[in-house]
Amino acid sequence: MGPLPDWMVIGRSELPLPLQQRRGAWSLARKGLGEIIGKAAILLGPGVNDSHGWLTRLDARAKVLGILGLLLTTTWVRGILTLLFSLCAAWALALIGGVNVRRMALALLAVPLFTLALAAPAALNLVTEGTPLWILCHLGGGTWGPWHLPEYLAITDRGVFVAMRFTLRSLACVSFGALLAASGSPQDLLRGLRGLGVPAAFVMVAGMMARYLSLLLESAEQIHLAKLSRSIGGVGVRLEQGWAAAGIGELYRRSRRLAEEVTEAMVSRGYTGETRTMAAQRWCGRDILFVSACAALVTFLLGID
Amino acid sequence: MDDSIFRLEKVSFSYPGHGLSLRDVSFSARRGERLAILGANGTGKSTLLHLMDGLYFAHGGSITAFGELLSPERLERPPFGPRFRREVGFLFQNSDAQLFCPSVEEELAFGPLQMDWTKQEVLRRISDTLDLLGIQSLRDRQPHNLSAGEKKKVALASLLVLSPSVLLLDEPTAGLDPRSQGNLLELLDELHGRGMTLVTATHDLELLPHLADRVLVFGEDHRIAADGPTAAVLDDAELLLRVNLIHAHRHWHGGVAHSHPHQHIVTHGHDHIAGEHEH
Repeated sequence: MGPLPDWMVIGRSELPLPLQQRRGAWSLARKGLGEIIGKAAILLGPGVNDSHGWLTRLDARAKVLGILGLLLTTTWVRGILTLLFSLCAAWALALIGGVNVRRMALALLAVPLFTLALAAPAALNLVTEGTPLWILCHLGGGTWGPWHLPEYLAITDRGVFVAMRFTLRSLACVSFGALLAASGSPQDLLRGLRGLGVPAAFVMVAGMMARYLSLLLESAEQIHLAKLSRSIGGVGVRLEQGWAAAGIGELYRRSRRLAEEVTEAMVSRGYTGETRTMAAQRWCGRDILFVSACAALVTFLLGID
Repeated sequence: MDDSIFRLEKVSFSYPGHGLSLRDVSFSARRGERLAILGANGTGKSTLLHLMDGLYFAHGGSITAFGELLSPERLERPPFGPRFRREVGFLFQNSDAQLFCPSVEEELAFGPLQMDWTKQEVLRRISDTLDLLGIQSLRDRQPHNLSAGEKKKVALASLLVLSPSVLLLDEPTAGLDPRSQGNLLELLDELHGRGMTLVTATHDLELLPHLADRVLVFGEDHRIAADGPTAAVLDDAELLLRVNLIHAHRHWHGGVAHSHPHQHIVTHGHDHIAGEHEH
């Protein structure tokens, strides 16, 4: 080990500190990122399921069969009213089933916004023809490269219908998905899938994914905090983007290493690919009743569509 | 009669894209023994434990465990596979990798469930193991929210619940405060007293006398540099200097510089006064 350099003197620095910290968009985005990671870690972390209603006590196979059946039906139906009914059915099931509705809503908060953002272009006459409901601007016709421009840019009635259908279908499907996730632990639900005949390899991969998600979030948070703790002043967007990209690469590398270690730990304790839990798999009256009720709802949705 | 649990013959191993991590390693671990694997960082201690636990497989040489050759094919098939996994427990250095279930109870249940034990038996063992380690209050907690010492206890509990006959421990005291270290060492002592074989990878010379009766010293060339009783190894300062486990420093006496191997191993003496026991 060599001698300490001259500049390494505690309490005295010969170089000036940055005069001000730039609080640009990137700094705010970084702060927001930290909050998102923190919230996601809470919502998606293991053991987050604190629902205690009757839905959580059903056999995993019944839950998977019933709720997935409703989800698949939602992807099939086309009517706006049917989709609206499907969305309401998901939340009604959550309410009466004793699932933590508030946490479900929190987890799905961003879904409507993103879905609307994706669906919005479909409402325009550029994408979906129809009777204009609201003219946004005049384009004057003519051509632009190989494309013919319309006289005006407008929101059409068919466009609104298509956008609404897409949004409602997405919301309903995601709601059923969230309901299924909130109705039991990941291991319980995966065991239900296995019990219904889903191949062991698929269930194993899904199980690993569920386990790694919380570890991944923890790693992401650590990388983010490590960067934050060493940030003094703003360095410009380009450099920040470079750091962000490096952080993503480091996260991938750490995740891969952690994934290998977790797999080794599981194999070391006898894991051979089968998901096992202490919950006994046994159909009883209420499971059959639940599946029957879901089947009736599926029939109703298809009937009114 | 051969009472070896593990026998390694000229074992070599390398990670893809890297040089050899272990080179011509040969030794045997006897039943009921306390064996330490000592070496500086990067000498292959953890790798050796992974090999002994059948998580990695040697590129050269052979490893036998309980009289059977350790190979991927043998570990996949009963009865040897499940028997090996039950008999050998591996405590990872990184507790965060070792704990992967949503609750401590499920963590302890994981191993027994792989063994197809009944639910009653699993629950009984969980309760008894939690009592043994004094962590009943952690039963419903999420492992990733625990302190380092608690995580280490839960990780150890998840192995002990299977009642293994061998424990492979990778730096078991790393990151623990002195009290947690003491508790862990006492527990390991007790387990050894009941006949458990302990193989510990460490570079902590101070704790070595508490962890092992016999030491394998690994050099930076990834070979075994010495194999002998703990006291003899600790007394051999030249050996420890050669394998980079201690440092040499220079100091001055008057106008003359001295340089010699130097190790910080604190020993103390104390008197036992009859009727008073305070440590």
